[in-house]
Amino acid sequence: MRKFLRRIVSDYKEYILLIFLSVISFTILAQNEKPAAKHLKTFALGNFAVINEITNSIVSIFKSDESRDELRNENAHLMLELNRLRKYRAENEELRSMIAFKDTSNYPLIPAKIISKLVTKSQGNFIVNRGSNNEIRKGMPVINSKGLVGLIMDVTENYSVVQNLYNSNLSIAVTLQRINVNGILNYDGKNLIIKDIPTTYDVQIGDIIETSDFSSIFPPSIPIGIVSKKESNVLGLLHNLKVEPFVNIFAANNLFILKIIPSKQINKLEMNLIK
Amino acid sequence: MIIHYLKPILFFIPLAVIQLVIVPLISISNIAPNIVFILIAYFTLKHGQVYGTILGFILGFLLDIISGGLTGAFMFSFTVSAFIVGYFYGENKIDINISTYFLLFILFVCGSINSFLYAVISNSNSNVSLFFMMLEEGILPGLYTALFGLPIVIFHPKEGI
Repeated sequence: MRKFLRRIVSDYKEYILLIFLSVISFTILAQNEKPAAKHLKTFALGNFAVINEITNSIVSIFKSDESRDELRNENAHLMLELNRLRKYRAENEELRSMIAFKDTSNYPLIPAKIISKLVTKSQGNFIVNRGSNNEIRKGMPVINSKGLVGLIMDVTENYSVVQNLYNSNLSIAVTLQRINVNGILNYDGKNLIIKDIPTTYDVQIGDIIETSDFSSIFPPSIPIGIVSKKESNVLGLLHNLKVEPFVNIFAANNLFILKIIPSKQINKLEMNLIK
Repeated sequence: MIIHYLKPILFFIPLAVIQLVIVPLISISNIAPNIVFILIAYFTLKHGQVYGTILGFILGFLLDIISGGLTGAFMFSFTVSAFIVGYFYGENKIDINISTYFLLFILFVCGSINSFLYAVISNSNSNVSLFFMMLEEGILPGLYTALFGLPIVIFHPKEGI
């Protein structure tokens, strides 16, 4: 029996090794959300990102100009303000001035620079040079002067991982600004898409998509993109909307992190509703 | 045994920096070469299938944890693709595999498999068609990766071919 097993192992050691390592890989894949795995990831990320930052600063051709940074900051504030005013106009036209509207224009913005990018089709992640030392917390939204970029997923002392719009794990509650219809925006590996919008709604190409009041992750009225295509499904009763983002995600370099901490009270209420 | 793996790990550190910082600058429509895979393929063709499989596992794990991506995705894709590269290994064929254009073919085939497996593992959305995945997330990155193997073919010393 022992001889037989020894022969099997020596004849098929490569396959046994492959299966063994594959099983370990899948096990680690399944443990991604466990605290120990996250801790290891943040430790490695935090230490390695220093090298990335040094290399990035060498590779960067243009040095950061203070006046340009100030202009970008002002531009980002103005972008948020403008979009908020567009929404006010739409609401006024529908005689909804009685609805309370939370002021979104006073969120503090923390500037950040991308120091490394993971370039894949489905796992869009950046690493930025701001971390818990800069009061960054997991769950803070990330924007640039044109619109929404993503969400802070992991934080170390000096660096953070940003999950951008082109990440299949990120789902965002959105609103079509003109007609105030809500939906969920996902990335399907190829396009940003809002699924299952009833065809009874008058959605037009070019309609602006922004974050919804119903989102507990993002504050409302952050512009995301425009409707670029409509595709009908389910006997023409529903359609899927393809969205073209305002931000060129892969050319993004300088970002702003909205210093918003998700409300624990709201999260608790939502958990109670789910239960 | 650990020392045997130290050399590629030392090579891995600057290559990982290049992969995460410089490669995004040369990506085309989000299609980028995988420089780390070239390292794994090179050492697999030099030292054998078992060595390469273990190396793919280790470097995949390291790349996963420093890139902020899904831990386990590169681990699996590098392990399997290094195993497949190992089929091309032969003690008498090391120079033929590494110093000739045959290396580009190996990098293309196995790089495509690597990219495809990574895409399958990391994409949680099931609406993407298989054909699209194979083309845009398998073959094209594999082709781009093979292109980056050209310097090895050109500059690697050709002994006794």
